[in-house]
Amino acid sequence: MPAKRVIPCLDVKQGRVVKGVQFKGLRDIGHPVELARRYDAESADELVFLDISASLEARGTRESWVRDVAHELSIPFTVGGGVSKVEDARSLLRAGADKVAVNSAASLRPALVTELADAFGRQCVVAAVDVKRDPKLGWRVYLKGGTEPTERSAKDWLWELNELGAGEILLTSMDRDGTGDGFDLPLLDWASELPIPLIASGGAGHEVHFLEALEHGADAVLAATLFHENLLPIPRLKAYLAEHDLSIRI
Amino acid sequence: MSAAPIITLIDYDAGNLASLEGALDRMGLAYRRATSPDQAAATGPIVLPGVGHFDAAQRSLAERGWWRALPELVAEGRPLLGICLGLQLLAEGSEEAPRAAGLGLIPGIVRRLGPGVKVPHMGWSQVRQHMAHPALPDPKGAWLYFVHSYALEPSTESVYLADHGRPFAAIEARGMVMGFQPHPEKSGRPGLLLLQSALTWMGARTPVPEEPCN
Repeated sequence: MPAKRVIPCLDVKQGRVVKGVQFKGLRDIGHPVELARRYDAESADELVFLDISASLEARGTRESWVRDVAHELSIPFTVGGGVSKVEDARSLLRAGADKVAVNSAASLRPALVTELADAFGRQCVVAAVDVKRDPKLGWRVYLKGGTEPTERSAKDWLWELNELGAGEILLTSMDRDGTGDGFDLPLLDWASELPIPLIASGGAGHEVHFLEALEHGADAVLAATLFHENLLPIPRLKAYLAEHDLSIRI
Repeated sequence: MSAAPIITLIDYDAGNLASLEGALDRMGLAYRRATSPDQAAATGPIVLPGVGHFDAAQRSLAERGWWRALPELVAEGRPLLGICLGLQLLAEGSEEAPRAAGLGLIPGIVRRLGPGVKVPHMGWSQVRQHMAHPALPDPKGAWLYFVHSYALEPSTESVYLADHGRPFAAIEARGMVMGFQPHPEKSGRPGLLLLQSALTWMGARTPVPEEPCN
């Protein structure tokens, strides 16, 4: 089995990495290449960049930083944000991204996942799914950064994504995201039964939370603030996980 | 002055050249992209990267003239390094495309991973030495990055092996033809060292700065 992966997630807006600060909008925390170098040196296993630039012109600047990151980084990275057709993915992969993440566009037009898998191989296709607990559906799928509910049950959608050709699932618990209370473990219990790798996201606040998520079947764990603010340095987290007998690349 | 060997990177829309070029730049190795064989450097190793489907890559290489040219170049003694799907294309064939033949430069068949494990095999796995090789030291359990659903069956001549459900060839070599199943350009420092050592053994050189005239 491959090592369990530790993945910092970076939000990018108009070519800069940003961090949300409550009630104060976004704070600039650096160029994608600077952060990429830092995390490469800190032994992150992979990076995920989510481009939250809204306008089309801003998307144009994306290829340029993706190219710079690819040139500097010696670990794999995924880029997501507004990928709604094969050509969007092609330009990111051409610029040097290893994988593309799709979210809302896949839910609105599931065939997109198959088109991407056919064009680039399923290992390039990360399906990002945002879910909230729901009395009727168990876990309900949300779109547009968790603001728009759908009628999909997460369980059905994850299995469908696997059938459609997703190579990996990036599963975010909206209930836990930003709380620091730990990952939604019952969610991971069933989602990890999928035959494709599962990245757990949402809720990490302490090193034990990562251990729990990995013990509950996640193949990789993702977090943002903890790593960006250096509240939990990645080398320390990885040493902790390795001490608990997980397969970790040190 | 004779031309220094330059690495030729085959550009056929099925490889992550940006990352590979970044890795070569960091190692200071000279390279050029070539979309067709007439653009290949006159000497030096040829690198065949690759991600995606076996038969799509095979068609794309054939359209650009590489499918015919590669065996000829190898017969002339040119070193060839296949990476990921690039390695699989060097084999005799793949279960991914049962009707398409491989280049046959490395014996063996590429088979689907599994059952019983998640496919694609995506992430960091440890490799171990199987056969000694002049350019590739004992990796001592180094972690390398893999992304693949198919793999070459191990042979007695596999240099490194890795496991995903079953053992497979992580690095295979036949003379100056070599294949890496992991992505050395994505495998941190150990990957860069392996790539450097393989390419240097294949004749790649760091460009020598020109001497001043006096």
